[in-house]
Amino acid sequence: MADKMCVTVMSGSVDRLVGLAILVSGAVGMDMDVELFLQLWGVHAFKKDVIDKNMNLSEFSEMGETVAKRLNELNLPKWFELLKQAKELGNVKIYACSTAAKVWNVELDDLEMVDEFIGAGEWIEKMREAKITLFV
Amino acid sequence: MVELSSDELKALKANKVVDARGTSCPGPLLAAKRAITEVPVGGVMEVLSSDAGTKRDIPLWAKKVGHEYLGTVEDAGYFRIFLKRKK
Repeated sequence: MADKMCVTVMSGSVDRLVGLAILVSGAVGMDMDVELFLQLWGVHAFKKDVIDKNMNLSEFSEMGETVAKRLNELNLPKWFELLKQAKELGNVKIYACSTAAKVWNVELDDLEMVDEFIGAGEWIEKMREAKITLFV
Repeated sequence: MVELSSDELKALKANKVVDARGTSCPGPLLAAKRAITEVPVGGVMEVLSSDAGTKRDIPLWAKKVGHEYLGTVEDAGYFRIFLKRKK
């Protein structure tokens, strides 16, 4: 079995999701399996009606436009495009917190790229098996 | 692992050249991972990247997955990174 990286994704802010997508791509590049567990704002950011409209930044929000422009100039794909590429190229599973799903009143069909709803206990067990665990 | 000299590297004829100069880290690494399957075992792949992170990422990746990193030559504003597919 390949080494595994597990990332808990609480944030729904674009800056953090860009950082997440780069780490996930890097891990896939380095031949690691990746599992994500989306919590509250993470689940919100993966909603089909939110994913490409989200402009929320957690830090330096007044610089949002500058950052968006630079990312564009660097020809860096959008965070969700990076994640899609990583999912095509490697073994990336995306789970969403079943309680957060209730908060947003969403089914799997309402979310992009999410494979399954799971609970906190199962996620803890998945993280226990991982070489790298992160929280964004 | 013995790296080749820059003259030896420049003289290499790569079986595949991957031009990833338009992408940012980790784009070139993913491009290399995708392309190595198109190189015959024992063949040489050359990755072109304008990203400084990549010239450190690719030797680490090659070591992890078992390919041979041959070395890097710096050209005008980009790097030519050479490796040999071993399996």
